[in-house]
Amino acid sequence: MAAVPQLLTYQGIPFWRHVRVIQWATQVISAVVVVALVVWFFTNMVNAIQDRDIPHGFSFLSREYQTPIGEHFLPYESSDTFLYALGVGIVNTVVVAVAGVILATLLGLFIGVARLSTNWIVSKLATVYIEFFRNVPLLVQLFFWFYIVLALPTIREGYVIGGLFYVNNRGISLPWPQASDYTVALVWLGAAIVALGVGLAANKRLSRREARTGLPSYPIVVGAGAAIIIGGAAWLALSIFTGDSPFFISTPEPHGRFGNIAGGFTARSGLLVLLIGLVMYTASFIAEIVRAGIQSVGRGQTEAARALGLSPMKTLRSVTFPQALRVIVPPLISQFLNLTKNSSLGGAVAYSDLTSIAVTMTQTAPAVSIFMLIMAAYLAMSLTWSLIGNLYNRYIQYGRRN
Amino acid sequence: MAAPATQARETPLPPRSEVGVIGWLHANLFSTWYNTVLTVISVTLLVLALWFGLKWVFADADWTVIVELGGRFVLGRYNTEAACAGQNCFWRPQAALLLVVVVLGAAWGLRGNPTARNVALLVAGVSAAFAFLPYSLETMGWDVRLLLLANLPALAVGWALARYTPLGTGMRIALMGVGAFFLTLILMRGVAGVPGLQPVSVIYWGGLTLNLILAVGGITLSLPIGIALALGRRSNLPVVKVLCVAFIELFRGVPLITLLFMSQVLVPLAFPEDMPQNSLFRAAVVITLFSSAYMAENIRGGLQALHLGQAEAARALGLAGWQTTLLITLPQAVRNVIPAIVGQFISLFKDTTLVYIIGMQDVLTIGRSFIQSNPEYLPNAPELFVFVAVVFWIFTYTMSHVSRRIEDTLGVGQR
Repeated sequence: MAAVPQLLTYQGIPFWRHVRVIQWATQVISAVVVVALVVWFFTNMVNAIQDRDIPHGFSFLSREYQTPIGEHFLPYESSDTFLYALGVGIVNTVVVAVAGVILATLLGLFIGVARLSTNWIVSKLATVYIEFFRNVPLLVQLFFWFYIVLALPTIREGYVIGGLFYVNNRGISLPWPQASDYTVALVWLGAAIVALGVGLAANKRLSRREARTGLPSYPIVVGAGAAIIIGGAAWLALSIFTGDSPFFISTPEPHGRFGNIAGGFTARSGLLVLLIGLVMYTASFIAEIVRAGIQSVGRGQTEAARALGLSPMKTLRSVTFPQALRVIVPPLISQFLNLTKNSSLGGAVAYSDLTSIAVTMTQTAPAVSIFMLIMAAYLAMSLTWSLIGNLYNRYIQYGRRN
Repeated sequence: MAAPATQARETPLPPRSEVGVIGWLHANLFSTWYNTVLTVISVTLLVLALWFGLKWVFADADWTVIVELGGRFVLGRYNTEAACAGQNCFWRPQAALLLVVVVLGAAWGLRGNPTARNVALLVAGVSAAFAFLPYSLETMGWDVRLLLLANLPALAVGWALARYTPLGTGMRIALMGVGAFFLTLILMRGVAGVPGLQPVSVIYWGGLTLNLILAVGGITLSLPIGIALALGRRSNLPVVKVLCVAFIELFRGVPLITLLFMSQVLVPLAFPEDMPQNSLFRAAVVITLFSSAYMAENIRGGLQALHLGQAEAARALGLAGWQTTLLITLPQAVRNVIPAIVGQFISLFKDTTLVYIIGMQDVLTIGRSFIQSNPEYLPNAPELFVFVAVVFWIFTYTMSHVSRRIEDTLGVGQR
């Protein structure tokens, strides 16, 4: 072949300085090194497992877990399997992650806007909040809240606010909608989703018409009205048909001799502390992201909007914020991801999240297998967040230009 | 005509409500009715918070738990009987501190810039001030106090070394820093067979020293590793790129505490049994790699934001590929993402508290295990955690302050 001698001495340059040779050599060497390391680690591991008789494999998953789980959103009994207990842990983590993300976004948005307020004292207070909560380790904050909640009065002497909210060292109980009958409730939820879809579609169509023709079309009134009418009609129909409304508000009430509380929804102290800690901590990061996003929108945009006669509120909502969103969303998603991963500190405040369940499991099952499973679970959650983020990002990047 | 008359008249002063204190108050606090409402609400909240906060700090809080823990915050269980086999090894971390202060003094002496001076003075000053803590001489002996006071002359020695000896170049001082770090590790760990330096197992290392050792090691190494990963991720060699992407996404996708836990159960199995094992080293490696994955993404952001013309111009001038990267694109990329890099350093420092999962007693865990084993201090838990929070805050705030100074020096964001 003619290419070989050319490769060896190209214009007097020795072959080992040829770019393609270097590139190929780098790739081959790095691949070989990584493969060799992996093989070496794996062989060592297999040897160690055999020599020291370390439990391994995944057969434990179908065994009974036989350990209570403090707080669970899926029904759980000690006789359930390891696999199911891991599922309970995943749901526990997802619940905290979703609730935390929603609350942290709201609080972060509020503080980020406050930080940019023209009101000096409001902006300084927001700055102090951000600088403090961002710079102190989450674990310190979690322990602080943990012992604050622990120092609350016991359940018998706890605070009752308006007969509806019960605050004590076991957690906080609040009124919560409850389904009378799961089938009926599901039917109504389906109807509600349809109503919401119709309302949103009407809103979008009328907004477009208003923007195109300038005729007043009342997109919000009509959209909300359509949603409420359809949802309300479904509610009424189901109530008449079954003789009971699909949902009712269940209020917490003292129950039994030990001051226990029945009804409503009780966020037990572990969940409560973890949520407070995660939300306060993450909100400080989100606030900075929101501030940076709003500041990234050119001053000219605000000035032009104000010159057109839009109110400050309307300017923020319709001009500044939609543009800021494009800068805000990518780092915001990575904060959601961080919050989800940080929920793994739940074990430190007695909340049974996936990691803390896994740590407990290692006492009766092979640790390596369990941790491989939960790392896969966390990777899946991270990928889900990235997927949601990318989809939404694509929507706001191009969807508005029509 | 009225025009000449108006011209001749002096420009009228702005109304009194627009200038001075009143003007400032008007513009910043009471410009509109809702601004006034906001001001009133915030001031009320602020006054309430200050009133109850100060009342708690000075009247209600009982700080004896802090006094009781004292030196354990700094060193954990290091100076206990079990750790030092009955001998006194308190002087070893103190000697390490002196070395660090010498290096800080040298950094101050090198250029005399105010940031280096402030940090050096802060560290040496606070350490020396600890010599006057009102503990009894049984709890805190003369030797301990004198070694703490010695930080002031150590600072002067470092300063003089940089000013009057050939050691006063940036590279040499950086090398001094690396040397001080390794000497610290050797002093803390001890050397078998050397009198006075009996080995102390890493399980007894603890307190703030542990956080700082993990943080300093991690910070120094995660930046170069992160840069290498970022360059690898942007490489056009598919194998290198895939390996780097896999590494970054794996470490970014899972919580640090699961990685730390894995490092204690899986990593010992992956190495031959006769290799020396060190739980602290494994934790340090995991924290560093975790941080590097994030660092890589920050650097990648900086590289992506850089105008393509920079690299093209460098190539057109005849620089080789590695020269373009090392001399042109990388320095600019790093400079542009300094806030993100320092943010990651701060994260790493905060993450060192997570070593609780592998049973190490850092400044946070030492306090928590103290109140758990002494339930009479349980009501004082808030005091304890507020104290730990303030300690962390001082370090992290200093870091972000230094980062802002560096940005100013490098002129980031200025045209």
